[in-house]
Amino acid sequence: MKKALIVARWEYWEKVKTKTFLISLIITPIIIIVFAIMPTLLTSQLDNTTKAVGVIDTSGIYFKALKSNLENFKLSDGQPNFILINMNNKEENITSIIRHADAYSLSGKIEGYLFISNGGTDSIRVEYRSKNSSDFRDINRFEEAFNNARIKIILEHNKVDPSIMKYIANNVQIKLFKINQSGSEEKSGFLFMFFTSFIFILLLMMMILSSGGMLIRSLVEEKSNRLIEILVSSCTPNELLAGKVLGLSSIGLTQVLIWLLIGAVLLGTSIVPADTFRNIIPVMFYFSLGFIFYSSIFVGVGSIVTTEQEAQQITSYLSMVIILPIVIAVPAIENPNSVLVHVFSYIPFTIPAIMILRYNIGPVPLWETLVSMLLMIASIYLSVSIAAKIFRIGILSYGKRPSLKELITWITEK
Amino acid sequence: MLEVKNLTKVFKDTVAVDNISFRIEPGKIFGLLGPNGAGKTTTIRTVLNIIKPTSGTIIFNNTPISNNFLNSTGYLPEERGLYRKGKVIETIIYFAQLKGIDRAIAHQEAIRWLKKMEIDNYRNNKIEELSKGNQQKVQFITALIHNPMLLILDEPFSGFDPINQQLIKELLLSFVLSGKIIMLSTHQMDFAEKLCTEILLINNGKAVCNGNLTQIKKSYGTNFVKIEFEGDSSYVKLHHSILHADIYSNYAEIQLKENEYPYEFLRDIAGKIKVTHFSIVEPTLNKIFIDSIKRSSNI
Repeated sequence: MKKALIVARWEYWEKVKTKTFLISLIITPIIIIVFAIMPTLLTSQLDNTTKAVGVIDTSGIYFKALKSNLENFKLSDGQPNFILINMNNKEENITSIIRHADAYSLSGKIEGYLFISNGGTDSIRVEYRSKNSSDFRDINRFEEAFNNARIKIILEHNKVDPSIMKYIANNVQIKLFKINQSGSEEKSGFLFMFFTSFIFILLLMMMILSSGGMLIRSLVEEKSNRLIEILVSSCTPNELLAGKVLGLSSIGLTQVLIWLLIGAVLLGTSIVPADTFRNIIPVMFYFSLGFIFYSSIFVGVGSIVTTEQEAQQITSYLSMVIILPIVIAVPAIENPNSVLVHVFSYIPFTIPAIMILRYNIGPVPLWETLVSMLLMIASIYLSVSIAAKIFRIGILSYGKRPSLKELITWITEK
Repeated sequence: MLEVKNLTKVFKDTVAVDNISFRIEPGKIFGLLGPNGAGKTTTIRTVLNIIKPTSGTIIFNNTPISNNFLNSTGYLPEERGLYRKGKVIETIIYFAQLKGIDRAIAHQEAIRWLKKMEIDNYRNNKIEELSKGNQQKVQFITALIHNPMLLILDEPFSGFDPINQQLIKELLLSFVLSGKIIMLSTHQMDFAEKLCTEILLINNGKAVCNGNLTQIKKSYGTNFVKIEFEGDSSYVKLHHSILHADIYSNYAEIQLKENEYPYEFLRDIAGKIKVTHFSIVEPTLNKIFIDSIKRSSNI
């Protein structure tokens, strides 16, 4: 095992000294910071200009109330968020009014227009028509404003006490709180969860891809200049493989530790929310296990290719598998208790990402943590021993890539 | 002593090495010769325990080889290359450590060898910054820094200028004196001829010619003459006593038939062309190589 450590030490220092490492050390946190700021940006800095919105109210009774309701929304500088323009015109028939409104929208004179058509006393139809598919928050505000206007009109009509009207207009909003193991409650939100979980998953994937690619390239180099023969005439293939996986994993850990340090310094600021590191211990555990698992796969795969082109091709196939958890992440956050999420919690390829996600969404039962970790360790054992068998033969074969059948004989033969 | 007995290696459907046996005594250089694709590399790899033979045994100092011998072997592969971005001294230390040398000692030894190879001033350069010849020297050092008992060198002279070839040759001879077991694989027959005491010539995985070089030459026949001349060589070509001739514009290597005498041949041709040099020689290794390979390929 001493030789494996020598290999690991070499692999570690030779890679850590490179520019690529330094660049990824700097660029990755920048990407992460952008991701971390994004939810704040998205929620706080919505609009900074007043929007002109047209209204065609065929009933003629809603415009006034709608206008006063919508003008309650203010921009950060105190200007109104919306200005409503009554587009009704008694001279024209409805088709030509609509034609004019469409033309205004298309030319950008107004954002869009609300078209309120009254089919009878109870049947009211409201459309919002605009050039671009609109901000969902605007639509929510229109809806709220219209419904409030509608209720207000009917209540006024029935001469209800204004204090009751005020009471009704005062909507109660549901705030989200998440209950934690210790019983304390925390504020939570989809976006916050999405980004904090996503940061770790994205980090894991980016690191696996960049260092996996690095590993394959160095293997191809060693193969093409026959360095590999000197290596395996100095240590056993298993020692070489162990050394490479160990070296690569240490590089990954170094990167993460440096980033955590940066994160710890920024902790509590708007860039790094205070409870980002709440589950850091299990997250780091899954992170390391995932990293080792994927590294061993890269070593196995990397040993069967001979040229840079082949290496790139095969890395892109692997990337697709590795990207899979990112695709699952969104539905998983939306519906953390779905069967799908539970199934992916037991598939080695997705365990690390999904478990990191689940830890951020809510408490995970201890038994599930243990089972998934054991499963991960068993998978690592399996993937390393398969990789070792492929590696042993793969590193000495040149030319044509082995077929699946050949690979199976390599794996099964003693 | 290295003893290889009935070594056979079969890959899927091709027999790369077919039942070959040889032994190498300490303090001797053993030449493993053969055309491209003859099975030399496979033989070397099995001896290095990189691949397992299909059958046969490889015994090193009375013990079958195993991974325990990894530290006792030094290997210079035919295709050269080191970590391009690695520093010269770091790379040498790394390979020395992989051969079980302590880091501090490896450092001292690396410097000693760099000085010996006259490339000490590049010790902190990256490998890729060195000339091809100097890169080869670094690789040479990595193959022998751990003072291996068994040294396997595949084309050690290629890529070196004549001065450095001399340096390498002297180094090899010093290893002979220190009693190392040396296996040399090369296509440069003149070097093999001067350095090797024993040779094994293989073709298509089979041994074609094996044993002491002097004896091989003797058994090969002595009726070899070398002439240098001026004039028309067509007469020489058609002379009745010639068994085989390699004729150039003013130089020829000729093998005479068994019962012909060289001096009679000289007398005959001397009247026709101006002979400037005539000598009776042993067959060159080059000649033995070409003939043996042709003969074995025709069978």
